[in-house]
Amino acid sequence: MGLSDVGNLMCLPVDEIEPGPQTDAHDYLIQEASNLLQASQRNWIPIIVKETGVDEYEVIANSFVYEAVLEAGLEKVWCIIADDSPDTALVSSVLANDVVPKVNLSTATHKQIANALDYLIKQPGTLLKGVSVATASARIEDAPRKYWQTLEPITKLKCRLTKSKLKELRKVFYLEPEPLPDVITDITLLDTFTATELKKMAKKRGLKGYSSLKKSDLIKRLSQVE
Amino acid sequence: MSLKEIIDRLPEGAEEPFVKTEFTPAFIQALGFTKDDIIPEFSTGAGPVDHAAGRSTNGSRFIDLRQNPRLYVETKGQDKDLTEGHNHYTKVVSQLRRYLLGPNSKTVQWGIITNSLHAQLFRKHGQVIYPATPCMECTDIDAVVSAFRKRMQAPSRALTVAIYNNKGGVGKTTTTINLAAALTLLGKRVLAIDFDPNQQDLGDALDLPPLQGQVWEMLTGKIDVAESITPYKHEFPRAKRTASFDVILSDANMASDFDEVKLRQHIKPNALLKALQPVKQTEYDYILIDVPPNWRIFSQRAVYAADVVLMPVRHDNLHSLQNAGMVVTDLLPEVQVERQKLGDFGPVALPVFLNSLPSKVSHSQAEIMHKAIDKVIKTGKPKKVDLRPYFYPKWTSNRRSLAMERIRYMAHIAKADFYHIPAAFYSKVAFEQYRSFIKEYFLWG
Repeated sequence: MGLSDVGNLMCLPVDEIEPGPQTDAHDYLIQEASNLLQASQRNWIPIIVKETGVDEYEVIANSFVYEAVLEAGLEKVWCIIADDSPDTALVSSVLANDVVPKVNLSTATHKQIANALDYLIKQPGTLLKGVSVATASARIEDAPRKYWQTLEPITKLKCRLTKSKLKELRKVFYLEPEPLPDVITDITLLDTFTATELKKMAKKRGLKGYSSLKKSDLIKRLSQVE
Repeated sequence: MSLKEIIDRLPEGAEEPFVKTEFTPAFIQALGFTKDDIIPEFSTGAGPVDHAAGRSTNGSRFIDLRQNPRLYVETKGQDKDLTEGHNHYTKVVSQLRRYLLGPNSKTVQWGIITNSLHAQLFRKHGQVIYPATPCMECTDIDAVVSAFRKRMQAPSRALTVAIYNNKGGVGKTTTTINLAAALTLLGKRVLAIDFDPNQQDLGDALDLPPLQGQVWEMLTGKIDVAESITPYKHEFPRAKRTASFDVILSDANMASDFDEVKLRQHIKPNALLKALQPVKQTEYDYILIDVPPNWRIFSQRAVYAADVVLMPVRHDNLHSLQNAGMVVTDLLPEVQVERQKLGDFGPVALPVFLNSLPSKVSHSQAEIMHKAIDKVIKTGKPKKVDLRPYFYPKWTSNRRSLAMERIRYMAHIAKADFYHIPAAFYSKVAFEQYRSFIKEYFLWG
C-alpha cells in the first residue's frame, strides 16, 4: 500500500480543513441539517477535500455538508481525499450540486443551448422572463458563434436577450473562440461587421468599385470572392 | 460450424461471457459482416456496447478505422429472459437505446439484442429508434438471420410517421403541414399525406384542390403512387428562393361515393403500406400521414402503414389524453398483431406532445392535467403496459421529471391557416418552434 491518502475515506479534525466553493443554501436548511448532525454526530455524506500540505486540506465539494458540520460544532468530520487536479475539483463540485456547470457556447449543440436556456428560465427570479427557448436557441445556434469573443452579439439576434440579461447567460455559457479566418465568405459572419469594416476588407483583398456599394451589396461581393 | 450447432453446444443457461464469445460474433458474420468488420466493446460515448459492426472498404478495415459503425449488438446470457415485456427485456432495450443515441453512434442504423435464445432487430432513423422485427425465438436461427438480413440489406430511406389522436381538434393537420414545411427547410425530402377524405383539411390548408379518384386507384393497386403526388411549392419573395414538398391530397370521390362496407371490400388493411413502398425506399426522408380522428377504415390503414405514431394532445382536453393512452394500450397492439404477420414489429408510439400550449399555464391547470395523466397511466396497469414513458419521457425510477414535449401556442400558427400557407413557411418564429421540436424528436444532433 502506498502512502498516499487519495481515494480514502478519513475522519479529519475540522480545523485542518479550509473552505472551498461557497454554498448558497438557505439558513433554514443549514440550521436543520446541523440539528440532525448534532444528534447523529457523524456525517455519512462525506466532504470531498484535497490535500494542500501536511495536515492541511481544502474542501472541493459538498460545501453544504461542511457548513452544517461547522454549524453543529463537530470536532471531526468524515472526508474523502481527492487528488488536486482542477478537473477533479470541477466534476466533484458539479456532481455535488455546488456549482452550475457551464457549456462552451463556441461549440455547443442545439440540445445543449436549449437545455441551458430552459434551465435559466426556470430559475426563481430569473431575468429571462418571456424569452422563448425555441427561438433563442435556434438563433444562437445559427449565429457565427464560434468566432465570438464575448456574448455581446447575442443582443443583436432579436430574441429578447438584451444587454442587461447577459449576466444571466454568463452563468451557463463560456466561449473558446476560434480566430477569424483571413478571408471571410460566410454571409452571416460578414453581416456582423459594419459597412466601413467591410470596405476595409474589400480594399485588403484588392477588389474594385466597392466604395459606393451598400452594406448588403458589399456582403454579396465579399461572399462571392474565392 | 453452423449457428445452429453453436447454439446447441452452449451449455444450458449459458451466461453472458459464453454467449458473447461463442455465439454473437458468428451471428454477426451470418448477417453479412466479416471478421474485420466487428469490434468488441466499442465505445459509443454512452458506455461500451458488446459488439459494433461496420463496413470495411477497400484497403481500410473497420477494425482499424473504428469509424462509422452501422450495427450495434448487445448480448445477454441465457439466464436473462428476453421475452418481450419481461423485466430483463425492458432493461436491455433501454440499454441498447442509450448506446444507439451515444455521441459516436451517428452512423449506426441498426441495433440488435440477443441472448442466443431470443433476438430482436431495431432500426435507428435520425434519433428515432423503433423495433424492426418482433423479438424472435432462435429455435430456427436461420429464419432469424434471413429476416434480419432482408431488412438490413434494403433499409428504407424514409421514416413513416402517422400523426394521430382519435380526439378531433388537437391540431393533427396543423402539425402535419408544419412538420412537413420545417423538415423541408432543414433540407429533408418530405411527403405529406392527407388521409382524411371527409375533411380534406390538409389540402385546404395548402390551398390545393382534392384529387378525383387517384387515391382510390392507388389504394386498389391500379396506379403507381407517383401519379397521385402533387408537389407543393412555396416562394419566399424576399429571399428569392422556393421550398417544396410533395403531397398526396385526399380523394373527393372517396368521401361521397362509397360507404364504409364497400371501402372495406376493396381496400385491404395493407393497402397504404403497399402503395408507399416504392417511394419509401429511396425518394423521401419523411412520410407524414395526417390521420382522421376515429378508428375506422382510413385511420386503421394509415396507422398500419406507419413506423411510428406521433400523438398531439391538449393540456386542457381530458379526452385527448385518455385517447392517447388508449391508442398505446389497445389500438396499436391490434395493428402490431397484423403487421407481425409480415415479420415487422408494427407501429410504435412516440412520446405525446402538448400542442398549442399557452405560454402561461396556471399552476392549478397544470396540476389538473398531471392528475389526469396519472389516471391514464393507471389504466395501462391491468393491460401490463407502462404508459409513463409515453407521457413523461424523462421520468426514470431515479428521476422524477414531469417534463413533456410541447409546441407553444402562437398567433402566427393560427393566422397562417387563413392565408393557406404552412406557418413554418409564413413566420420565422413558428419555424423555429417546429425546428426545435424536430430536433427533439427526429433529427440527429
